[in-house]
Amino acid sequence: MTQRLTLLFAILALVIAAFSTASAQEVKVVKFAELEKLRQQPHDTLYVVNFWATWCKPCIKELPYFEAVNKQYQGQPVQVVLVSMDAPQDLEKRVHPFVQKRALQSRLLLLDETDPNSWIDRLEPKWSGAIPATMLFNNKRKQYEFVERELSEEELQKLIVKYKP
Amino acid sequence: MKKIKLPLIYMVCLLLAGFLMAATPAGNTGYQVGDTARDFELKNVDGKMVSLSDYENAQGFIVTFTCNSCPYSVAYEDRLIALHNKYAPKGYPVIAINPNDAAVSPEDSYANMQQRAKEKGFPFPYLHDETQEITKAYGATRTPHLYILKKGENGMYKVAYIGTIDDNSRDPKQVQKRYAEAALNDMIAGDQVKQPNTKAIGCTIKWKEA
Repeated sequence: MTQRLTLLFAILALVIAAFSTASAQEVKVVKFAELEKLRQQPHDTLYVVNFWATWCKPCIKELPYFEAVNKQYQGQPVQVVLVSMDAPQDLEKRVHPFVQKRALQSRLLLLDETDPNSWIDRLEPKWSGAIPATMLFNNKRKQYEFVERELSEEELQKLIVKYKP
Repeated sequence: MKKIKLPLIYMVCLLLAGFLMAATPAGNTGYQVGDTARDFELKNVDGKMVSLSDYENAQGFIVTFTCNSCPYSVAYEDRLIALHNKYAPKGYPVIAINPNDAAVSPEDSYANMQQRAKEKGFPFPYLHDETQEITKAYGATRTPHLYILKKGENGMYKVAYIGTIDDNSRDPKQVQKRYAEAALNDMIAGDQVKQPNTKAIGCTIKWKEA
């Protein structure tokens, strides 16, 4: 009897473990300063920072491409960061359910700032403010590229191959 | 005379061309503040064509690229109506232009525009830029995107402000900086617009698929 129980618990534990690894990343709510810090990371790593929102259709279309990159370069110096432009008030009712449903595995930030005019130019003067927008950079190698439009899977893959250390 | 190595010349030419290309801002083809804005003739939701030249008494215009499908545009609808009601009597009416291709974004079809204009009771025209020619000429990249024009002495309209309505799309009650109103007040007072360019997060324009 006890053996069976132990077995049952072991199976249960395995199931829980399996589920928890498949569950989504936490969304970290940040201020602009944190975004600036990310932009300055000195490591020999390719950062792929995508600006999106749950209400943005073209953003949602390209999200799986970023997720694929995140998975494909696991353990390599390529880091995908998805920065949500959703309102912090929508975190519980919109962003969390969205992130859970799609089990997003990339690093997730939500920018809690109201006046985009005060920070867009400090991040990228070429950015008019439309999303989706994506920046790729490796500060160690002084590499940088900014794209203010929807990317196809092929375009994104090409950019990664071009810059990955 | 020394023989000049041709490949070297080619390389120098290529380098020069590269520098020249890098010096011209890529994709920055639309209007900048100070440029003369062209007139247009676009179909309003009431079926009539609308042009800047139809407005004899206008001192300028609040040309706003906006749409049905972008939550940021929707969030600003009431504020756009208020802006029109405040500034049209002062000579600066709103003209709203939907730049999105209806095939790519069905919510922005002409019929849906008519319905939205009716629901909200837009006191200004809501025009459809079907060919996207005007959107490209102005250089709009997102919705909402404002171009405030001011009539010059020659009767031509110059771009005096490009940007956003205010600093808080989410919550009108939390607004602290009314960028568009500040620009309009400068213009009406005959002053230089102190902050002629502002930015905001918005939706990409849904361009026709080639």
